[in-house]
Amino acid sequence: MSRWLRAALIGGAIAAVGCFVWSSWPPNSQYAPIETSFAIVALSFMVAGIAAWQRWPASRLGLLFTIVGYLYLVPYILVNLANPVAWTIGNPAEGIYGAALAHLGLAWPSGRLRSRFECGVIVADYVQNIAFNTASTMFWNPAFSGCDARCPANLLLVRSSRPAWNAVNTVEGFVGLVMTGIVLTLIVRHWRSARGWSRRAMIPLLWIGTAVGAEDILTGSLFHFSGLVTYALLPLVLLAGPALFVISTVRARTAGGALGTAIVDLEPGASPGRLRDALARALGDSTLQLAFRQPGGAGHLDTSGQAVDADRPDSGRAVVAIAGSDGAVLVYDEGLELEPQLVKLTAAAASMALEHARLQAEVQAQLEQVRASRARIVEAGDAERRRLERDLHDGAQQRLVTLSLALGMARDRAAGADPELAALIDSAGKEAREALTELRELARGIHPAVLTETGLTGAVQALVERSPVATTITAVPDGRFPAAVEATAYFVVSEALANVAKHAMADAAQVTIRRRPGRLVVEVSDDGAGGARAEAGSGLRGLADRVASVGGVLRVDSPLGGGTRLEADIPCP
Amino acid sequence: LIVDDHDGFRRFARGMLEAAGFTVAEAATGAEATEAVLAVRPGLVLLDIALPDFDGFEVARRLAAVPAEGPAPVVVLTSTREARDYGGRIAASPAAGFLPKDQLSGAALRRFLARDP
Repeated sequence: MSRWLRAALIGGAIAAVGCFVWSSWPPNSQYAPIETSFAIVALSFMVAGIAAWQRWPASRLGLLFTIVGYLYLVPYILVNLANPVAWTIGNPAEGIYGAALAHLGLAWPSGRLRSRFECGVIVADYVQNIAFNTASTMFWNPAFSGCDARCPANLLLVRSSRPAWNAVNTVEGFVGLVMTGIVLTLIVRHWRSARGWSRRAMIPLLWIGTAVGAEDILTGSLFHFSGLVTYALLPLVLLAGPALFVISTVRARTAGGALGTAIVDLEPGASPGRLRDALARALGDSTLQLAFRQPGGAGHLDTSGQAVDADRPDSGRAVVAIAGSDGAVLVYDEGLELEPQLVKLTAAAASMALEHARLQAEVQAQLEQVRASRARIVEAGDAERRRLERDLHDGAQQRLVTLSLALGMARDRAAGADPELAALIDSAGKEAREALTELRELARGIHPAVLTETGLTGAVQALVERSPVATTITAVPDGRFPAAVEATAYFVVSEALANVAKHAMADAAQVTIRRRPGRLVVEVSDDGAGGARAEAGSGLRGLADRVASVGGVLRVDSPLGGGTRLEADIPCP
Repeated sequence: LIVDDHDGFRRFARGMLEAAGFTVAEAATGAEATEAVLAVRPGLVLLDIALPDFDGFEVARRLAAVPAEGPAPVVVLTSTREARDYGGRIAASPAAGFLPKDQLSGAALRRFLARDP
């Protein structure tokens, strides 16, 4: 909308209302409320016209709103001028705004009539309106309203006759009612066939339609209302339509912001269906479809799995491509063509969201790979340690045992013949046994054989027996678990008990391992000094890494002076 | 009967035990062990836990399950590892006890025989 047009519309509205006030000055206490309500209603249509022009420059709706506003007010200005020519033009034109209102209603929201039939209806409405008002003017003597010589002359007057004037008015009222009925019926049909955005966009119109229908019925049949209600308050009902339109326009201006909010509110990794819902809400079009190109030229499918022809959309639908999305499209209510900027914004928002989702999925996949490879590395390490322990057992340990037995036998044989040699062999045997003990400790540190042999039950029992702090086992599940799970649980207990012995200054500790659906929960607690922290390069940090390597979580609860509670939650099929 | 897959150990153990007055037979696997028990009817089986086919616990279980004519042999498990490396499995086994390999001696075995009539 150009600046000039806006200036002209604002200037015109001020001028029209100014003229109206000037023409009816000085205010007459009887008519002042009626005239004020006229001015307000006319102004509301003019403001709605500016809003419509601004919002939908491609639509003629702004023009139609403006025309209704002027047609509402100008005839009264002419009549008030007390000039014969002005009066003779103004008086028959007083009801013509009704036809313009019907035009506005049927042309909503594009400003264009949909069919030849509807065109005919509107032409007929304008014609009957002008014809009947002209005809009734022919029988109306301005003196009927009691103004004597001050009245302007009626240049159309054929015969001064109240009965004839009444008769024409009665027929006009009936025809007008029929026309209103036809127009309202057509509007309801538009409403029923409209979907999504178009239907929402019709809400202000429905108000106007209801108001017009109510006004027609009330002024036509219930003429016994007091003058003030009929002439001053009823027109105010008309205000609702333009007011609602202006409100909906202001809200539409915030739709761009709503799009931003919709995208921001979308949680990471939301499905395309959620994205569609967010966009549909922000756009105000419940029929919005987000469709993706299927691989192999199989057309498009929307988020609910429905096939969509992106090249030839159904009637009443329009398509916009989403940039950088490999052929994804938005299919929306055609009425939204009136708001191309909003559609463009929506497509851009969708593009960003899809790109975001793609990157998210990529990062997720990479993270998954890193997790899997970390688990594999830890598992490979475990397997290697198990192998090393077995090699030590089968090899060096075995040989040392044999050696120490051989030395024992040699000592026994030498004992009688050569006591000195026997003592020498005996000390060699001691060395061999000590080497064996050290080797056993080393092997156990590399990988506890008891874990391989007996699983957690025996292994934890062995750990507890070796712990210098009095430790009780509350629960350890029987049965075997995957090697990585057993090894992790074992290392948690082992490291925790080592910490208890080294740092906690505890009197007692407790080990609990429980099987939960899909996981194994290892808990070690003590009544010591507390204050343990998983950060800062401690053994706990390494333990947390170890637990994380199998997808688990290590929690440390260690208030100063309140003991330490270590809990590892390990996924376990 | 000495059951162990390690030749060197079997040789030394045999030498030691024969010197201590035992009559010794040998087996290298769990399967050989069950056959040898039926064939030679030993008074005592020195059974290594780590065997190539099935482990010593399994062999001990099978020996206990064999319907025996006459007195069943006293089964003593042995290993280069220590008893605590096997947790509760030794106690749960029908074997009479456990003897670490490096503490093997005729006297030690006689103690088992004396305890288990």
